[in-house]
Amino acid sequence: MKTINKILNISFTILLLSFISCSNDEEEEQEMVVLEPLKSEQITNFAAPQTGGMGEPIGGEFSKFDFENGAKTSSETDWDIAFRGTTICINGGVSTGTADEPTRNGNAGAVIVSGTFDSVITAEGLTFLQDAEGSFAIPTGSDNGWYNYNRQTFTISPIPGKVLVFRTRDGRYAKVEILSYYLDQDSSNTRGGRHYTFNYVFNPNEGETSLQ
Amino acid sequence: MKFKNVFSVVFLFISAKILPQNISSDSLGLNLKEVIISATRTPRELSSLPLPVTLVDQEIISSSGVVRLDEILIEQTGVNIVADESGFEGIQMQGISSDYILILIDGVPLIGRKAGNFDLSRMAIGNIKQIEIVKGPSSSLFGSEALGGVINIITEEPKTKKLNGNFSYRFGSFNQQDINTNIKQNSGKFKFNFFFNRLSSDGYQVDSESDPRTFYPFKNYTLHGKISNDFSKKLTGLFSFRFYDNEQLSMLILNEEDFEGETQENDMNIHLKFDQNVSKKFNIDYELYFTSYNADELIQSLLTENILNDNFFNQKLLRPEIRGNLKLKSKSNFSGGIGYQYEELSRTFFDDNINFSSQYFFIQGDFYLADKLNLIAGSRFDNHSEYKSQLSPKLAFYYKANKSLALKASVGFGFKSPAFRQLYFNFTNSSVGYTVLGYNVALDKLDELIYQNQIQDVVIPRNELINSLDAESSIGYNLGISIDEPKWKLDLNFFRNDIKNLIDTRIIARKNNGQNVFSYVNFDQIFTTGLELNFNHRITEKLNINGGYQLLYAFDKVKIQQINSGEIYARETTSNKTVELSNKDYFGLVNRSRHLGNLKFFYSFTKSKLKVNLRFIYRSKYAEFDTNGNGLVDSYDTSFINGYLTTNISAIKDLSKKIDFQLGLSNNLIDYTDANTPKIPGALGFLKLTYKT
Repeated sequence: MKTINKILNISFTILLLSFISCSNDEEEEQEMVVLEPLKSEQITNFAAPQTGGMGEPIGGEFSKFDFENGAKTSSETDWDIAFRGTTICINGGVSTGTADEPTRNGNAGAVIVSGTFDSVITAEGLTFLQDAEGSFAIPTGSDNGWYNYNRQTFTISPIPGKVLVFRTRDGRYAKVEILSYYLDQDSSNTRGGRHYTFNYVFNPNEGETSLQ
Repeated sequence: MKFKNVFSVVFLFISAKILPQNISSDSLGLNLKEVIISATRTPRELSSLPLPVTLVDQEIISSSGVVRLDEILIEQTGVNIVADESGFEGIQMQGISSDYILILIDGVPLIGRKAGNFDLSRMAIGNIKQIEIVKGPSSSLFGSEALGGVINIITEEPKTKKLNGNFSYRFGSFNQQDINTNIKQNSGKFKFNFFFNRLSSDGYQVDSESDPRTFYPFKNYTLHGKISNDFSKKLTGLFSFRFYDNEQLSMLILNEEDFEGETQENDMNIHLKFDQNVSKKFNIDYELYFTSYNADELIQSLLTENILNDNFFNQKLLRPEIRGNLKLKSKSNFSGGIGYQYEELSRTFFDDNINFSSQYFFIQGDFYLADKLNLIAGSRFDNHSEYKSQLSPKLAFYYKANKSLALKASVGFGFKSPAFRQLYFNFTNSSVGYTVLGYNVALDKLDELIYQNQIQDVVIPRNELINSLDAESSIGYNLGISIDEPKWKLDLNFFRNDIKNLIDTRIIARKNNGQNVFSYVNFDQIFTTGLELNFNHRITEKLNINGGYQLLYAFDKVKIQQINSGEIYARETTSNKTVELSNKDYFGLVNRSRHLGNLKFFYSFTKSKLKVNLRFIYRSKYAEFDTNGNGLVDSYDTSFINGYLTTNISAIKDLSKKIDFQLGLSNNLIDYTDANTPKIPGALGFLKLTYKT
C-alpha cells in the first residue's frame, strides 16, 4: 500500500507540477505575446500572366503570393494564393484539374464576403471553401466570383463590394479587395491586363480572426 | 362628318369622293381636323382621341429637309434614337426601347431587326403623307411588339385627276445624294402612285477609321408602288409593293490587319387588300400581307482573305387578316378582326430554319357615352406556337370639360413575344470563349457541351429550362390634359409603364475554360415614368412656335430592392474606395436621358415666298453601360455622355410654281462633336431642288 501511496503521491505531484507549469505557460503567453499588429498594404501591378486564351487552352504557371512576406514567391510550399489571368487558386484543397496549377500542401481556405473593405472586420463565423476537383474556392467566370466582364468595353472590372477573405496555408487570416486587373489601374489599356492591384489586411497571429 | 368622308377615300375606299385640296397643306394651322388611323385602326379625329398620339405631317417633313425616318422622328417630343449595347440604333419612346415599339407601314408591320432594334434609316420619307406615333401599350390592337407604342407610316394617296408628280435632288455633306421621284394619278376609280428613292453617301469618320462611330459609305434604293381600283361601289382593291435594297461598305483594322467588307440588305413588302361595303354601316377589310428581310455581311482580311465575319439573316412574315367595322349610333362604332401570322427565320448561329405561327383576334368598341364623353374599350387575344397565349385589354376615356379643355385617361396591356434569338441562338464567342444559348435549345446544347466535356458545372436546376419562356408584358397608364385655344394648344401627359418578365441573359453553366454559358430567362422588372409636354403657339400668321419636353425616370425594380437591402456597392473614382450605393446614386437604365426637349420656330415670308425654320433638339446626360462592375449605372460610373443640343436650320424658297429650292444646315449648326457622342458628325449642309407638276 505504501508504495502505491507513494506512486500516487508522485504522480499527483507531477500532475500538479504540470498544471502549475501549464498555467505558468499560459500566463506567460498572455503577458508576453502582445499580438503582432495587423499588416495592411497595397500590392500594385502584381503580374499574373497566362498562356493560351482566345479560344486556345489556357496554361502557364500561377503567380504565387505569400501573405506573411507580402510579396510574390516562387516557393513550392510557402504560398497562400496564386493568380493566373482572372483565376485565383489557393494553397488548400485538392487539384481542380486545371493545367499547370501549383501543388497544394497547405490548409488555405477562401470565401467571398459582400461589403466595403472596412466593414469586414473578422473572419470569425465564415465558412471557408477550398479548391476542389472541378471548382475553385473563388469561382471563375464573369459575375460568379470577383469580377465582371464588360462585353462593350472588353474589360474586367472587380465587382465593388466583393471582399475575398482567406485562411492562409497555416491558419492565419487575411482579407483582400481587388482594385484593378490592369497595369497602373488603367483599364483603358486592355493590353495591360493580368496585372492585379489589391489591398490586403493580414493578421499574422495564428488563429486570430480579427481583420481590423 | 367631313373628315370621315376624307378617310373613306384615303384609307378605306368606301366612296370615291374627292379629297378637299387643303387637307394637309396647312399643317401648322391649329384648328385643322387632323385624322389618325393607328390609335383605333379606324379613322379618328386626332383632337378627340383619349390616347397620347403625335402626328407628323408632310409639311413638317418637307420643311425639315431631312431624308430618313430616324431624322424626322428624333425631332419629335419624347422620341429618342439610341444605340444599345449591341451597337445598333433604334427608337425609344417613354423610355421604352426599340424592341418594344412596333413599326408599321400603311398599317402592316415591318420586320428585320438587329438585336431587337429596327433601323429607321431604312425608311425613305419622300412619299409619306403622315407619320402617326401612338405612345403607350397598343397590343390590344396590334399584338406583340406594340408594348411601348406604335409608329405607323402612312404613305401618300394620289389626289388629282391629272397625272402629276415631283422630282427632287438633294446634295449634302459627305457627298450624300438623295433622289426622290413620285408619279401619281387619281382618275376616280383607278388610282396609282409610284415612288422611287436613291440615297448614297461617302460616309464619315468621327475620329479614325477604326472608330466604331465611323459611318461607312452606302447606297440604297427604295421602290414603292400602290395601285387601287374601285371594282364597284361596294368593293375596292389595293395592291402595294415596296422594295428596298441597301449596300454598305465597311473597313476596319484589327490587330494591325486591314479588313474590308460589305453588308447587303433588302426588304420587300407585298400588301393586298380588299374593302367591302356590306352596307352603309358595315364594312369588311380582307388583307393579305407578305414581307421579307434579308441581310448578308461578309468581312475579309485584305491581306490573307481570311474571313472575319460571314453572317446572314433571312426573315419572312405572312399575315392574312380580316377586319370588320360597324357604325353605331352617333359617332360610335364597333370593330374587330381575326388573323393568322406565320414567321420564319434562318440566320447565322441558328442550327435550323425556325418558324413561329400565331392566331389572334381583337375587338374594340369606340363609344360616345355622351356628347362629351368618349370611351374606347378593346382587347386582343394572341395564341402563339412558342409561348403562353396573351390577352391584352385596353380602356381609354376622353372627356371634354369645356370648349377648350379636355381630359384623357387610358390603361392598357402590352406584350412582346420572345425574339427568335432568345429562343434559338447557339453562339460561342471565339475570342473570349463564352457561349450564348437560346432558351428553347439550351438544354440540348448544354447536354452536348457536357458530353464534349466542356462544362465544369451547371449552376441552375435543369427544370428551370423546361417550361416555355413567357412573353414580356407591361401595363401602361397615361393621364393627360389638353387645352386647345384658337391661337395656342397645350398637351400634358403623365405616363407610367410597369414592365415585367423582361428577358435577360443569365449564367446557366460554367465552362472548363473559366467562361460562362448564358441563356435567357424572364427576369427583369422595370418601370418607366414621367411626363410629356407639348405646346404649339401661332404668334402671328407668319410665325409659329412649337416645342416639347419629356421628363423620364426609368429604373430596374430588382436593382432598387438590392440597393435598399445594401447589396450593391460602387467604387469612388479617385480614391478607389468601395462605398455602399444609395438610391440617389442609382442613375437608372442605360441610354435614358432624364430630359428631352425640342423647340422649333417656323417663319414664312409670304411676299418673297420664303419659309424658314429653326429647330433645337436637346438630350440630357445619359450612360451607355455600367463601368464599375456592379451591374447598374450609378453616379460613380464613367460611361456618361453629357447632354447635348443639336440645331437645325432650313429655308425653302419657291422659285416658281413648279420649282422650289431648299437649303439647310442639319444635325449641328455649331459644328459640335464629342468623342463620346455617337452619330453626330458635326455640321452638315444640304441643298435641295424640287420640281413639281
